[in-house]
Amino acid sequence: MRKETILPESKDTAFRDLIIKSPGGEKIPTCMQCGICAGSCPVSHEMDYTPRQLVRMIQLGLRKEVLNSNTVWICTTCFSCSVRCPRGIHPTELMETLKPIAMSEGIRNKNAKFDNVFSDVIKKNGRASEFLLISKYSLSEPGMIKQAPFGFSLFSKGKLPLSVDKMEDTGELDAIFKLGEKTEEKAETKTNPGKKETGEKENAEPETEK
Amino acid sequence: MPENEPAQKKIGVYLCRCGGNIGDVIDLQAVADSLKRENVIVNIQDYLCSSAGQEKIKNDIEKGKTDRALIGSCSPKLHLETFRSMAKNAGLNPSLLEITNIREQASWVHDKESKESVNSKARGLIKGAVARISSIEALVPLEKKLVDRTLVVGGGIAGITTALELADGHEVMLIEKQPYLGGHMIGLSKTFPTLDCSQCILTPKMVAVHNHPGITMLTQTEVADVKGSAGDYSITLKHSPRYVDIKKCISCGACARKCPSGAIFLPFAQAVPQAYMIDMSKCKNCGACVKVCPRDAIDLDAKETTSSVSVGAVAIATGFEPINPSFIEEYNYPAPNLLTAVQFEEMLSAKSKTGMRLQKADGTFPDRVAFVLCAGSRDFTGRGKKYCSKVCCIYSQKQAQLVKKMKEDAEAWIFYIDMRSAGRRFEEFYHHTQEKGVNYVRGKVAEIIPQKDSTLMVQYEDTNLGMKGREIFDMVVLCPALVPSAGTKELADKLGVPLGDDGFVEEKHVKLDPVNTLNQSVFAAGCVLGPKDIHDSVTEGISAAHKVSQFLGKGMILIPPEKPMILECNGCGDCVKACPYNALALEGGKAVLSPLACTGCGVCVPACPIKGIEIRNFTRNQLKTQLKAILGEGPGVIVFIDPYAYAAADIAGVNRRQYSSLIRFVSVPSIHILDADVINAAFEHGASGVMLIEGTTDEKLTSRSDELYKKLKKDTRKHKKPLRYSHIETAQYEKLTDLLNVFAAQAGAKAEKRSRKEQADEKESAAE
Repeated sequence: MRKETILPESKDTAFRDLIIKSPGGEKIPTCMQCGICAGSCPVSHEMDYTPRQLVRMIQLGLRKEVLNSNTVWICTTCFSCSVRCPRGIHPTELMETLKPIAMSEGIRNKNAKFDNVFSDVIKKNGRASEFLLISKYSLSEPGMIKQAPFGFSLFSKGKLPLSVDKMEDTGELDAIFKLGEKTEEKAETKTNPGKKETGEKENAEPETEK
Repeated sequence: MPENEPAQKKIGVYLCRCGGNIGDVIDLQAVADSLKRENVIVNIQDYLCSSAGQEKIKNDIEKGKTDRALIGSCSPKLHLETFRSMAKNAGLNPSLLEITNIREQASWVHDKESKESVNSKARGLIKGAVARISSIEALVPLEKKLVDRTLVVGGGIAGITTALELADGHEVMLIEKQPYLGGHMIGLSKTFPTLDCSQCILTPKMVAVHNHPGITMLTQTEVADVKGSAGDYSITLKHSPRYVDIKKCISCGACARKCPSGAIFLPFAQAVPQAYMIDMSKCKNCGACVKVCPRDAIDLDAKETTSSVSVGAVAIATGFEPINPSFIEEYNYPAPNLLTAVQFEEMLSAKSKTGMRLQKADGTFPDRVAFVLCAGSRDFTGRGKKYCSKVCCIYSQKQAQLVKKMKEDAEAWIFYIDMRSAGRRFEEFYHHTQEKGVNYVRGKVAEIIPQKDSTLMVQYEDTNLGMKGREIFDMVVLCPALVPSAGTKELADKLGVPLGDDGFVEEKHVKLDPVNTLNQSVFAAGCVLGPKDIHDSVTEGISAAHKVSQFLGKGMILIPPEKPMILECNGCGDCVKACPYNALALEGGKAVLSPLACTGCGVCVPACPIKGIEIRNFTRNQLKTQLKAILGEGPGVIVFIDPYAYAAADIAGVNRRQYSSLIRFVSVPSIHILDADVINAAFEHGASGVMLIEGTTDEKLTSRSDELYKKLKKDTRKHKKPLRYSHIETAQYEKLTDLLNVFAAQAGAKAEKRSRKEQADEKESAAE
């Protein structure tokens, strides 16, 4: 992994302030980097930045690194970090704050794509289907072709059924998704003013960092 | 008010910028200008407490420009004594100098408010104080003889040091809850940073205490009750039975050899006092020991006893205890081979039950040992303790060194968040521990999972690398948060000593009066003031001894002169019945006060049916005059506050806890001096609400507060404005500011509703 140098211009204080003001974000400045979140996380070894590092990057306002990291998409929302954090920070909620911002920025790394495909499948059928998931994801992520032999061997052993299980009535599910979309819209309108401020505040940044 | 005072008083108002602490927030020049009509002289200084500042006031007094001085500065708890002794030297009666707090209770706590609202508050407070100081009379403090005996509570290193340092000049009684002296220190192995053994340096001191003719030492003893007042306490002590007479026992051990159940034992070889004791939960009451004892020292029927001692000063040295880490679910304590650092130490100390050998549950040596720091510390979620326990970084390194010393190829790992080994010779100790090959991992341990083979799996993030890790250990040592020992709160309440929100005793001043408490005759030393090492505990023990000696050396204690004066009496005796301290009596059909028994609580003031009793310098008229002047500078919420709660407001200030600038504190010796006259006056002069905040833990007063509040509420109902009573101890400054904010908002909303209604009514009547 190539590492960037942290420079005054790489810091986006408006982004930092936006996250800190979001629900559950107010304790982020008190993080002491103890790492109990990452140590408790069952999937932190899969993340490019551990939850602790993500919090540190937010403290600095490293917008690009935060939004492009796969951390938010890997999180399984098990809440171990939130329960154990001695400073009362809620990394799980933080992930939920960052996801819509990353989406609205057009960030589509492979983890974000998988997340999208997965929710699409659920939206349509109400239930997960390994076959739909894998085939749709393979279409959007060309690298998956390397996994083809593994897929065939799963299929040959009956671990990848072609049948698609579907909920009888998806009406209530639709309502839930609609509600979710509404909340997302609200979040987006909140993030937009933040974007504008970014441009304006750029010159003032080195000073605020002192 | 005495009538022979000159009509024209020359009031000097001295305002302090306190560097920028006050001057940057409050426009002191505007405050000064607002006083132009008041016929006072005003002076503003950068630092009033400096010699130049004090000199200015002194000059004014000596040249006759000022015969009453009002200072607007930091809290009177900080510098009132300084300024009053200056006033005394300049020839002014000290009671005619007062301080209005515009720092802790104004400039530091209203960051979020408009400048004008803070300025108007400051103007109100100063004008109120000017009105007050022109109305008060010169008083002379009363003198009371001190009892030249000190009770030291706690026989650990801090208490032992205090007692020994004090005993050459003063009589000392040292009491200890445990059956032996030494506290936690006797349960330590080697001590950092020198690695000399704890008992080698402590036992000579324990023996010295035992042999000192000026020290009466009582083990298994606790404070049961405290009567009397500062300088003259009568303390009831409770003694748990040992069943063996310490004076008769010669530690021959005949009893223990005969005992069939191992119930009679010597706590440990070096224990002081050197006497056996019985664990009654094991004793079968067979009487074998009684028969075999050559000195007839054993009494199986011994009961708990009490005794009484009169003392002039008390030194609290009750120390700490480790928090029980079982509340940290992810650490799975207790489990085999999962210990606290205190248990680890004891295994290698004089109190060892393993012959001072480090061993696992199965008796073998642990080849891989992990030390887990901050177990329950630095936690702001309410689950653990907020503070750092200070000593764990350094003692865990010492323990790691001991492991390596006992077995060179054993592994010792320290899991830390920040390595805090600050202090003389400590960084060198850190360096030396690294040289010994101890593994340091920066990361708070996330999980400790006991394995089937009694090893322990530790999961963590190495935060220097950003990588998750797992290790298996033979033994894991938790370094738990250190908390005040059980019973600290009960003892402090009995002595009228406030605690901080962390449960440790509050110092009189954090930096400048570190071993004095807010009670002038009670002192503290050691870990009851916060976690610390032996060196610091000894330093505080020596300091406390010096402070006690200084206090007792005066022979007299000054009693605040703000006592009740009986102006009119019909002999009904209501005040005599009401007085909680038996300080009033009927003599010849009139109430008479014994001033030394009186605490100035003022319960008698509202009790008198003909309003014949007033507290000197806190009379109804004086309070009303002050209220009128405060509220003349804009509306506000009047908060009557007693000295204990006042201390809480000061701590809120030091911590910059923000609250509404509508709050106007009016300091009173106790809220019990107030009656409906005063509260009604506050409402009439425009207060949008009134609060009574009481901080004392004296049950004789707090048990009456509800009744007082109900009565006041009833008698002030006509104003339809909010009145509230709250009990806030010194430690609860966070609760205090929350309460102030809620109440100020309530009072504000109510006032707004009322003014809207009035406007509507006006319109209506205009339309008619």
